[in-house]
Amino acid sequence: MTRKRAVLLVFRLFVGGVFIYSGVVKILDPLAFAQQVRNYRTVGQDLAFVVALYLPWLEALAGAFLMAGIFKKASAALISLMLGGFIVLVAATMVRGIDVDCGCFGALSRRADWRLLLEDAVLLAMSLAIFFAARGARSGSAAHKR
Amino acid sequence: MRADLRGIWRGAAFIVLLAVAAGTAANARLIGRFLRGEFRQSFTTPVEYPRIRFITIREAEDLFATGGAAFLDSRSRREFGTGHVPGAKSLPLEEHRQGVKPEAAGVPLERTLVVYCEGGDCQASIGLARLLHDAGFLDIRVLTGGWAEWQAAGLPESKTDD
Repeated sequence: MTRKRAVLLVFRLFVGGVFIYSGVVKILDPLAFAQQVRNYRTVGQDLAFVVALYLPWLEALAGAFLMAGIFKKASAALISLMLGGFIVLVAATMVRGIDVDCGCFGALSRRADWRLLLEDAVLLAMSLAIFFAARGARSGSAAHKR
Repeated sequence: MRADLRGIWRGAAFIVLLAVAAGTAANARLIGRFLRGEFRQSFTTPVEYPRIRFITIREAEDLFATGGAAFLDSRSRREFGTGHVPGAKSLPLEEHRQGVKPEAAGVPLERTLVVYCEGGDCQASIGLARLLHDAGFLDIRVLTGGWAEWQAAGLPESKTDD
């Protein structure tokens, strides 16, 4: 039991950390991220702009809440949804044969390829594990009852 | 269980609203510029990239005819090989993700550059233009319609690496 909780804590810190980092990097340069969203050639100019303004904040905040253990289930759900969306987007981009920078980590981004899909899938598995293991929406780790 | 679900919804809504509030507050100036009509065509604006401009096929044709610019093809080498603007240099964006060296274009920084990709919704020319801007080139022009428009206009093509 304790071991399971330790693993979940590591998952939380890791997934939360990745999302905080990827969010902050994009928050620092919204126009560059807007262009990266545009590069996927899935949404138009206006929607890419809106995504670039808000998605990074959603990533960073959901990551921060997950890390802090506040709204654990809600933040894990949001992160899982985002990861699911990223996986579909990258897979669709690969099928369409579009060569694109993933746009995941600002200037440190690399190509959207099958390795990226695998990484997203691992992150998704971790966040789903957190989601299903977390006790309730309002239960922080301190509220854990025996 | 239902209370649990409600709690998740509430928590998620709170985080989303917080993100919207923070995103709006942090990007108020960009939103203002957007509402005034900026970014509708490109995120590469004269404010951030003063030496990049977008040109039509007619302007590109003029520059080609007068030899007033060096043409750079941002597509993959394979695409370049199937046909390109005569005299264009292949500078695939996919091979220069970490940046472009000033000598990569093979021309001096003052030379006018015309960058293109395959056309339609392609974004590689914009990506390459940004890198060339960062490398210090002084006059970079992006042919918005790209190779597709060049071909549709019946302009000269080359298949050899010239």
